[in-house]
Amino acid sequence: MNFIMSIIDFFYMPLEIFSQTIVNGLLTGSIYSLVAIGLTLIYGVMIILNFAHGEFLMLGMYISFFSFTLLGLDPYLALPISAILIFALGALIQNVLVSQVLDSHPLNQIILLLGVSMLLIGLAQFFWTAEPKAIHVSYETEVFKLGILRFSIPRTVAFFSAMIISFSLFLFLQYTKTGAAIRAVSQSRAGAVLMGINVKYIYMLTFGLGTAVTAVAGALLTPNYRMIPTVGAPYAVTAFVVVVLGTMGNFIGAFIGGLIIGLVEAFAGFYFGGDVKIVASMFVFILILLFKPAGLFGGKTGI
Amino acid sequence: MKTTTNSQTKGKSQGGSLWQSIFMDWDRVQLVISFALLALLALSPLVVKSPYYMSIIILTTLYIFTGISWNIIAGFSGQLLIAHISFLAFGAYTTFVLYITYGITPWVGIFVGGVVAALLGLGMAFVTLRYGLKMDYFALFSIALMVALKALFLKWKFVGSTIGLTISLGEPGFSKMIFDTKEPYLYIALGLTVIGIMVQYRLYHSKMGKYFLAIREDEDAAAALGVNTSLYNTLALVIGGAMAGVGGGFYAMYVTHIEPPQVFDLGFNVEIMMAAPIIGGLGSLAGPVLGGVVNKPFAEFVRGFVAGGNPAVLPIVYGLFLISVILFLPRGLTGVVHDLYLKVRRRYTSNKA
Repeated sequence: MNFIMSIIDFFYMPLEIFSQTIVNGLLTGSIYSLVAIGLTLIYGVMIILNFAHGEFLMLGMYISFFSFTLLGLDPYLALPISAILIFALGALIQNVLVSQVLDSHPLNQIILLLGVSMLLIGLAQFFWTAEPKAIHVSYETEVFKLGILRFSIPRTVAFFSAMIISFSLFLFLQYTKTGAAIRAVSQSRAGAVLMGINVKYIYMLTFGLGTAVTAVAGALLTPNYRMIPTVGAPYAVTAFVVVVLGTMGNFIGAFIGGLIIGLVEAFAGFYFGGDVKIVASMFVFILILLFKPAGLFGGKTGI
Repeated sequence: MKTTTNSQTKGKSQGGSLWQSIFMDWDRVQLVISFALLALLALSPLVVKSPYYMSIIILTTLYIFTGISWNIIAGFSGQLLIAHISFLAFGAYTTFVLYITYGITPWVGIFVGGVVAALLGLGMAFVTLRYGLKMDYFALFSIALMVALKALFLKWKFVGSTIGLTISLGEPGFSKMIFDTKEPYLYIALGLTVIGIMVQYRLYHSKMGKYFLAIREDEDAAAALGVNTSLYNTLALVIGGAMAGVGGGFYAMYVTHIEPPQVFDLGFNVEIMMAAPIIGGLGSLAGPVLGGVVNKPFAEFVRGFVAGGNPAVLPIVYGLFLISVILFLPRGLTGVVHDLYLKVRRRYTSNKA
């Protein structure tokens, strides 16, 4: 009896802390969703794991940093700059490098993208040093209260931006001709070619979109996170977990999976301390692999 | 008259038979190339006196050994094990804990480290293969495992948490595997590498090696032909893991300090595990050696002489290595040597005819 009581004691949370943890989890989770959507988009269309994914997030953060320090732009106004520049970079990398290995052994694809990842980290470290950088804005630590809940302003803005971007990307994929072409390629490449879809162009577009979304996620993090050249790696690993949770290549799965992992990390952080968060998502990862390897939305192919 | 010519040619071919039996067999040629390069490394102390260059040579040799361990898993059995470095970390930590806490000599410790790493391989195989995790899922699993292990080791007081473990140098001694000159380290690394090359060669020519290659080429087809793919995937992980663990134990004794951010790092993983076999040609016998003699020396050369010691250059060099090998040299340096070899052999056989 004592033992059960101690377990209940351990897991007991006052209501306001409970709801606050949910809020924090969802706020972080929205960023994970955005990064995972980029990853799942690329995987769904090209069946290639983007091992350089975290580095595009890092570049998004640095672009936002430099547009703040050099141009004096507010980090949120600089979002389109990150998006456009990284879209171009992603499309270029796809066209020059990734397109060469689409049909080769998965190990070759992973090695190539690991190479891209190391190259980008090395270049960032070479030009901008490994020194942590941060920007300071007036609303950095501002909070608004809603009943018993407290919302950090930059993280709330990031949450709603992530929601809007995910939703508009979803609409783009569902209701535009190009979006339909992307979905067609993800369902059957040969079929898409027969329908007269320019698959090469779709690949470039998708890789660009996937990386641009990730860069925007990075830019949304800039107001309250410090950046170093290796900042992207933990986000990329989390995004991998999210993508597996929500079925690889499934758009909605990545979105919901991101929110779930955000919640899991928030609760694990409350109970076991912040450093164990990554172990918690790893634990979730193993559970999915053991009990539902196809993910929550298994069975449906294509984006 | 006729008989004499016959006996003459016979005698000639017998005299050249050893040389010929090596020359006509590409696998043996690869073995000879490997040992020739190792002999060069072994003789290098005659010329090289500076500790800095000796250190590069020792790490070059060690990276060949660790490269072989990854070559067996990724090159032979074709498993997408990316974060192979977890094995190295297990070996390194085991050796240090045995030596520092229990005073057990590293000569035993590094092999216990190998056993512990092999057990990790067994555990990984149990979780992944039993549930049919393949390809991309396995790659992700290995990386997620590395990240989780790093977080755990950072918290674990017994292994020094964030500070890591350091051995106090003190008096040098053979039983402590601490020497005041660099040469003994080089010869230990060379000994390990010779064993590694022999293991790799024997494995390649055994039935097990053939099963590995069958699994790499087409796992489903191999399974349909009756190959127990789970068993052989597990064996590959255990053998490669054990070798990486032994390499990790030696690495720890050589650098005398290990900490989680250093040994659970994807960049270091590329440097110590992946670069040598990839540059040399993944899945080939001479690959790790040919790639290994380029890997560390070239990276150090660029860092030291071109970039004035800036550490940011290393990821750039390794990134370019990986990208350019995949794009321009998919069979690695061994592929180049192989083409050359075929040309020479064709000329030789046509001359003879």
